[in-house]
Parts: sequence; structure tokens; C-alpha cells
Amino acid sequence: MKNSPLIDRRTCLRGIGASLALPLMETMGWAAPGKGKAAIKPPLRLGFMYMPHGVIPDVFWPDDADNFLSEPPPALNSLIPVLHKCLMMKGISGVPNGPFSGAPHALELSTWLTAALPDAPSRAKINIAISADQIAANYVGGMTSLPSLELATMPQTHKENQAGLNEGYYSHCSFRSATQAVPAETNPRSVLNRLFGDRASGKPGASTKADPLDRSMLDLVIGGARDLRRKLPQDDQHKLDEYLDSVRSVERRIASIEYRLKEAALEKAGVRASKRNASDSLPIEIKIPEGDKRSEYMQVMADLTVLAFQTDTTRVSTYIGSTPNGVSYPELGFNDSHHSQTHHNHQVDKVDKVAKITAFNIEQFAYMVKKMDGLREGDGTLLDNCIMMWGSGLEDGNKHSRDNLPFIIAGSGGGSLKTGQFLNNVSGNQGDLLTTLLGCAGIPLDRPIGIASKTLPEITTKG
Amino acid sequence: MKALLLVGCAALLNLRCRAESSGDDESAALQAEATKAFKQKVAPFVTKYCQDCHGNKKTKGKLNLQPALSKPGDAAYVQAWLQALSNVRAHDMPPDDEDKQPTEEERQKFLDAVAKIKYLSPKDPGPFVIRRLTKVEYGNTLHDLLGVDPAVAAELPDEVSGEGYLNTLSPLQMEQYLVIANEALNRALGPAKGPATEAQKRLLGDPPAPGADARAAARKVAQSVARKAFRRPPSQNEVDVLMQVYDLAGQNKLGYPAALRLMLKATLVSPQFLFITPASEAKAGSNIVALDDYQLASRLSYLLWATMPDAELAKQADSGKLHEPEVLKAQVQRMLKDPRSRALFDGFGGQWLDLADIATRTFDPEKFPQMTAELRSAMYDEARLFFDSIVRENRSIVSFVDSDYTFLNETLAKVYGLEKTVTGPEMRKVLLTNADRGGILGMPGVLAATSFPNRTSPVKRGVWVLEQVLGERVPPAPPNVPALEKQDKKTVANLTLRQRTELHRTNAVCANCHKMLDPIGFGLENFDAIGRWRDQDESGGAIDAAGELPGGKRFSSPRELKTILSARKDDLARNLTERLLAYALCRQLEGYDQIVVDRLVKAIAKDGYRMQTLITEIVMSYPFTHRRISDHLASSAHEK
Repeated sequence: MKNSPLIDRRTCLRGIGASLALPLMETMGWAAPGKGKAAIKPPLRLGFMYMPHGVIPDVFWPDDADNFLSEPPPALNSLIPVLHKCLMMKGISGVPNGPFSGAPHALELSTWLTAALPDAPSRAKINIAISADQIAANYVGGMTSLPSLELATMPQTHKENQAGLNEGYYSHCSFRSATQAVPAETNPRSVLNRLFGDRASGKPGASTKADPLDRSMLDLVIGGARDLRRKLPQDDQHKLDEYLDSVRSVERRIASIEYRLKEAALEKAGVRASKRNASDSLPIEIKIPEGDKRSEYMQVMADLTVLAFQTDTTRVSTYIGSTPNGVSYPELGFNDSHHSQTHHNHQVDKVDKVAKITAFNIEQFAYMVKKMDGLREGDGTLLDNCIMMWGSGLEDGNKHSRDNLPFIIAGSGGGSLKTGQFLNNVSGNQGDLLTTLLGCAGIPLDRPIGIASKTLPEITTKG
Repeated sequence: MKALLLVGCAALLNLRCRAESSGDDESAALQAEATKAFKQKVAPFVTKYCQDCHGNKKTKGKLNLQPALSKPGDAAYVQAWLQALSNVRAHDMPPDDEDKQPTEEERQKFLDAVAKIKYLSPKDPGPFVIRRLTKVEYGNTLHDLLGVDPAVAAELPDEVSGEGYLNTLSPLQMEQYLVIANEALNRALGPAKGPATEAQKRLLGDPPAPGADARAAARKVAQSVARKAFRRPPSQNEVDVLMQVYDLAGQNKLGYPAALRLMLKATLVSPQFLFITPASEAKAGSNIVALDDYQLASRLSYLLWATMPDAELAKQADSGKLHEPEVLKAQVQRMLKDPRSRALFDGFGGQWLDLADIATRTFDPEKFPQMTAELRSAMYDEARLFFDSIVRENRSIVSFVDSDYTFLNETLAKVYGLEKTVTGPEMRKVLLTNADRGGILGMPGVLAATSFPNRTSPVKRGVWVLEQVLGERVPPAPPNVPALEKQDKKTVANLTLRQRTELHRTNAVCANCHKMLDPIGFGLENFDAIGRWRDQDESGGAIDAAGELPGGKRFSSPRELKTILSARKDDLARNLTERLLAYALCRQLEGYDQIVVDRLVKAIAKDGYRMQTLITEIVMSYPFTHRRISDHLASSAHEK
């Protein structure tokens, strides 16, 4: 885990709202209708947060559908204040391991948002499928300055060979295309910098501001790269396509930042009337912790997600809260690695530790969604306009089972999801769930996600 | 879809056709022999002893040999055959409880014939797809090019490296490349109006005199900057693009220095800088080509130094002679003497010995308060300096297992019990008189890396010795591991770790593998979870370090284990060769590579298993110096 050297001092960033984010948000706001115009609905946001190795099924699943809200299981304690805005369902199966049964942990994260298996003949390379978050980013990403946000708590460098699979499968869940894994950011300060520029991060002497000529310069570089591409064999061309795609994305990003700055300037000059509702909450503050306490670290990542959503800087986020293997939780009073405890063989002390780790992870998720629920937006709260999915790629780490993957959905996606309920007998798979959620977020799909064969009408309000 | 079609094409291939595709007589003869041996020895053996569980739609243990029987030389089945080979050799298969058991002679003939299957693979260097620089390589290259601290690249996401190299490029990385390019240029070139920095003079030369042709001067700079940054001569087109950037700056009223700066920035975000690209286009219709000298120089430089070629290597590439064996050999030897070759440990050795993450690995702070940052870094340095000494002094690779020296400072000497003679923080070479130490098996970093946070693991150590040292393949633990906790807890608590571990063997599912793994690990039980010597384990029971390697070699102490392992020179050499070759090629080894490895191991054995010979032979090998262009080697061979 990246810790103290990166988070070198406590920075309290008052005023990024005032200086940067807020004016942007005003112009890009959505709440109050102008005269004679229909109300602009706030956009829907989609977020994912991951914990590896599954749960202790006995203490994770609610007893039954009726007492979900009145007597939730202890694992969900931290979610109680917003439980009526949450949705759980049992009976969602994971992707069958197929030829990779020796690789439960390399698959748990990489199949999580793809609902697909890696391509077996080329298993040593990355070759899987575009992930749900990136499908969403492709659709809504153009409307914000950052198409999507990918965060992780630990560097994505776990090395272990399982069933000959590329080691990248261990710690990546976002894939921009079948062959392109998306790395996540682990340093909160860089995330802040990326979201709101150097001024926000308060870095002394920062001078990495985008050059006004960068876009035109990149255009020329792209031209040169196309030349090079023509001369290369097919496999090389494919690598270069990833490069070209990434450069184009950077260009778009620069363009969208420029656009928003221009809009903000016009707004300040009084050219346009604010569309933002005066009662909407002000952007939250970000405090970067100085120690390496896991909860503080995860909470600042959660804060950054909330702020990015609140200011409509992005509408899609993925947070790998923890990575398979090697990770321990000293903050909980023990140093055993998460993975070793999940193979508990029903020993009470190990079962208890896994339950604590699970509750801890859910607590960080709860921190994020409760914060969202505390922010007014339009007629409701930010959370009401989100679909936040928390979950794991295994059900029971002891057995590596994937029959009933644990998920918690928070936020109703603008009223499209039927929250406040636990469905104890849903029959579907991970792909069905992702397909349904993307549908609720208004993302049109040209094909089902991964192994999906249907949607899950029982969790939506459309029925 | 394409992949499916390819498999389809390969399926149409018959053995005869493959034999023709690789040409020379010697390999044709070997292929004929392999085909015969396969028909006579392998196929009947599989049918008789394996098929019930690993064929006819049965895939016990995830292995089905049925498709491999009809296409034995297909690259897709290399792993299946290797698995069969190692299990049958270890008497792990057929399982003891099967009625049908092969005679020792049958077994040996099967093994010999399976070992020949590789000759059925067509001669193929594998692809060398243009490769993005890793984070480390990128930082070092910026350092060599601009003189900036490699840490300027620290913000890039960390990567997995080596065989499973993650060669993709995401928008986040691209964004950071742009930010880092800005930052690096700010540091290297200094403020616009300040005096010219050293890097400025070196890269951009003097500004043109008033009245001189500034554009012509800029073109010269573009040419020379691109030669360095692209690690090969740029094409006219490539220089033209940089000049367009120069002109763009001019149109926006930037002066000469600022225009050159923008041009430099364009260079740093160009694919020719971020990827290792060939200098020339491959001839149309060719399937396999030799790397051009520039590409070879880059491949070599990034392998040994993790950075761009230096002036001397660039000169050899310019002369067009780098690929000549004597020139190439001399360059390898020169480069290995250079301190930059520590990159070989940081990139390869550390990963091989499982020490890359020793700084952040979890240890129980109550049991092992000694595992401070200082001790961890000393453990890493010990292995690094030891690895380096074998490379630089060109020692036999057997000394990895059996040596009489190591590198210690006071902190680490405490683990050895040598703190009276070794004092102070600096690492230095220390001669060892205790034969249980010396070599990677008695090295605290390795012993710690193969333990749990709070105790040793004979199983992990056993797997480590078999896989990392001897290159055997150990199947992963099966899912649904049955519980071992049925025993009375109080009884278990009084057992030594060895006795507890031996409970594995009361369960048939576990016994199959653990009877092979555990005894090796038991031989290292005298070393605790951070590598200190002990005579009793935590239960208070005496350590019993007697053990046995597959095949029946017995030992009773770490020193005896070392002696047995150091006699297995060919296995040690083959393992290291395979690992280093895969690292050098940035890919998994496949069918034809096995023939290459055979030749390398032979050549290395002839020269006393010396480390520099191993590295040199890999650099001069066919797959390192060639590349396959078409993805369709098999199918195009078929079309001929």
C-alpha cells in the first residue's frame, strides 16, 4: 500500500469550491428550470466499489425479506441510516471459472465488471472484455471533463501465477477494451490534482498546467503516429491503436476543460443565468490524511469520488477498495493477511476476522454513500441520483464459491431501482445484474454484458 | 473470433507439413524421430494409464490430453505435456491407488518420448510486438536523455512486470506522460530567460546567430533529438512532424527556445519514444526477420540496464555491426560491468527470488519486531549484491545454491548471529564458515518471503525450492480444500509444526502433492520465519530437518539439501535459462523455445555454467535477435 511518503502533510483544501469547482458547477448545473423551460434533471452517476475474497455468508445475508430494514445483519450496521435507499439480492451467480479453476483469485476481480472470462489461448496476455464501467464511460464520459475515475487502495502489482494467467488480471477490474487494462490511481493528491488542477492540490511551485498549445501539438503527434502505424505489422498496429485512443482521450479532456473554463468565465461576466438550484449543497472539502491509517485513506478516496460526482466532473467511478492477496488490516487489531483468514475451515477466530474485515469494507462504502445522501441535489440528494454498487467477486472465500455473489446497491438511480428491499431468491448472474444497472443508469447497450442472458425486472421500478 | 479461426487452421496441420516448415535436415530428422516416438510410446501410454481421467471428455485436475493426442506439437498443448511430464516423472501420476501401474521402463520411455514433442514445433522466434517502456524504464530513459531524476515518473501507476508484462496504455497514463514531459522539461531546461542548462546545450545546441536560418537549425536539432529519443534514426516523415510542431509554435509567436521546447515535448509523448519501435519496415511477405541493429540495441539495453542505449551502444548500432556475434558479445560483457546492470536484479532477480515486495510485505510485528525497514532493505541488498557478484565475477550459477560468502551489515548480521564480527550500517562481503548458510536457500530474505507473517511454512518453502530453484511445476491446491481440523485441538497444539503439517498426508487428496512438497520444506525448518537459526520450533519440540526430494534423495540438514541441489546443475541451469529468457523476451516460452533452451543449456554447461555465458547466450539466441511478423506463422506455413 502506498502510504505516508505520498501523503506527506495534512492539507485542508478549503476553497477549491469557491475558486474552481463551484463556478464550473454553476454553469453545468441542472436543477432550477429557466423561464418557460422544462426542469433539467440531474445526471445519473454510476459507482463501483470492490472487496476481494467474499464474505461469511451466515453473517452477511439478511435473515429474510421482511426484516431487512428492521433487523439487518451486523455486517450492514454502518448502512442503517441509508438502508431504505439500499437494495440487496441473493442468487446472483458469478462467471463459471471454466478452464481457469486453478485461478479463483486472478478471476475474482477481472471478471467482476466484465462478467466474462479471459481468452484461454492468449491467457498470458490481457484479453478479456470491455468492463461495465468503461461501457458507461464511453457513453456518458463525453459530457464531463473526466470520462471516468478509477481508484485503488493498493498498487496493482500483485505477482502470482495462477493457471498461466497474466498477472494483471489479479488487480484490475476496468478494461477499456478486451486487451487494454485501465490502471487505477492510488495517490489521493494526484487524484485531486487530476480532478481540479494544481491549484486544488496546493502543491507548492506546481507548474504542470496544461499548455494552450498542447492540443494542437498532440494533433500533429497523432498524425505522425498514423504514419508509423501504416508501416507496422498487425499486432503492432493494435498496440498503436491503444496509444492513439489514449491521446485522443487526452485531447478531448483538454478540450472539455477549456470549454468549462470558458463557460465559467462567461458566467462570471453575467452573460448566462445560473441553472443551479440555490438550495443545492456546496462542494465538500477534501482533507488528505497524513498517516497511513487504512480507514482515513479509504475515506479520502471516497470523498474524492463524492466531490467528482457532486461537481459533475465525472459520472462513472470504480474504486478497488482492496486487492486480492497480501493485504492485511492492522487497524482492526490483527496482522493476518485477508486471504489467509478467508480459508478459515470454520475456525471461529478466523471466521470472526473475515467478518470484521467485511464490516470494515462495508463501513467505508457506507461512509461514501451516507456522505452522498447528506448532499442536497435537485429534489433529493446526490445519492438519489446515483447507483453505487459494492461487492466482491467470491461469495465464500473458504470455498471459492461464486453461486451467490454478495452485492449491495445504494441509491435508486433517479428512482429507477426499487430500493429498501432484500430479494432472497433472485435467479440471475453477474452479467444480468450489470446489464440491468447500466440500463437503469440510462446507458444503451448494443449487447448484453458478458454472460448476461436477461435483465432483472424485480429490482427495477419499471418491473 | 480470429483466435478461433487460428486454432481451426492449426488443427488442419498435420505433422508432415510442420516438419517441412522448419527446413534444415537435422531438425527434419529429429521431427521424424519425435513423431515415431510419439506414436509408439506416448499415445499408447496415455491410452492405457491416463485416458480414464484425462481424456474422453474427462478433465480431472483440469488436464485433458485428448486434443493434444491428435496435435502433439501444437503450441496450445505445450503446458499440458509439461504438466504430464512433471507428474509422471515425480511418480505422482498415475495415482498410487490406481490398479494399472506402468513399469519403470514404460515410465522412462514415455518420459523420453514426451521430451521430444518439442521437435514438432516449427522454428519460430515469436513476435516482438512494439513494447511500451515500463515505468522504471521510462524514468531511467528520461534521466539519460534529459539529466532529470528518474523519480520524475513516480506518479505513473505501478505495474506488474516480467513474463506477465502489462503492455497497455490507458488515457490516465497518456495524461501523465504529458504532465511528466512538462515537468521534466521544466527541470532540464530551466526558466525561459535563464542561462542555458547543461541539458539544453547538449540537446539543443547554441541558438542560431541573428540573421541565420533558424528553421534549418531547428531541423538539425529535430534530427538529433529524435535519433536519441527514438533510439534509432528518424525517418524524414518523423522529422517533418517535429518541424510542424516547431512551426505551430512559430504561428503562436513563440521564440526559438520555446519552439524547441514544444518540439521536445512532442518527442516525449510520441509513440516512437514511449514504445520500442523498429527502424525499418519489414519486407512485404516476410514472416520472420532479424531485428535491425537499433532495435537490438534497445532490446539489449532495456534488458541489462532498464534504460536507453548509451553512446557506445548507439555507435555500434549506427555502424550496422551490432548483430555480429563478437561485437554483440563484447557489448554484453561491457554492459554487465557497468553499475547500471543492477537493473537486472531489480527487474529480474528480485522477482525470481520473491524479494521485490519485501519492503511492504506483512510480518507479525509482535513476533518479529526486528523486521524493520532497515532489516528489510538489508535483506534485499544482500540478495542483490550476491546476485551481482555472481554476474560480475562470472561465477557458476551453482553458486546461487552453494556459496561460502554473502553480504551483510550489522542489522542483518544479527539474523546470522554474526553481529560481533560485522558492525556498522554498510553492507560488505563476509566469508561464511557455517555450511548451512551461503546461497539463496539460507538467505534470510528468501526464507522470510517463503513464510507466513507469523510462522514458517514448510509447504511454501517446498514449492519455492521445486519451482523457483529446480524449475519443476507444482499444481495449485485444489478448490474446496478439506478441513484438517477434525483432530482434537489440544493434541494438535502439542505437535511440532512438522507433525501438524504431516497431517496433510492423512487425507488422500492432499497427500498426493504434499508427500512431495513438505519434506523439502522440513529440511529448512531450522530457519525461522525471518531466517534465524533455531533448534526447537514454537511448540518446544526439537526440529527434525530430515527430508527427501522427489526421486528419493534423502537429507537431514540444510547443508545436505544444498549439496544435493548443487549437484543438479542441469536443472538449475535450465530453470534459470527459462526464466531469464522469458524475461528477456517479455513473453511466455512456447513450443519452439524449448529447443532454444536445450541449446542454451548445452552451451552454458560447456563453459562451466557461468552466469555471463548464460546471459550472453540468451542475448545471442535466435528468439532474442529475431522476430516473427505475422501472427499466422502456422497457417501461412500451411499455405505454402
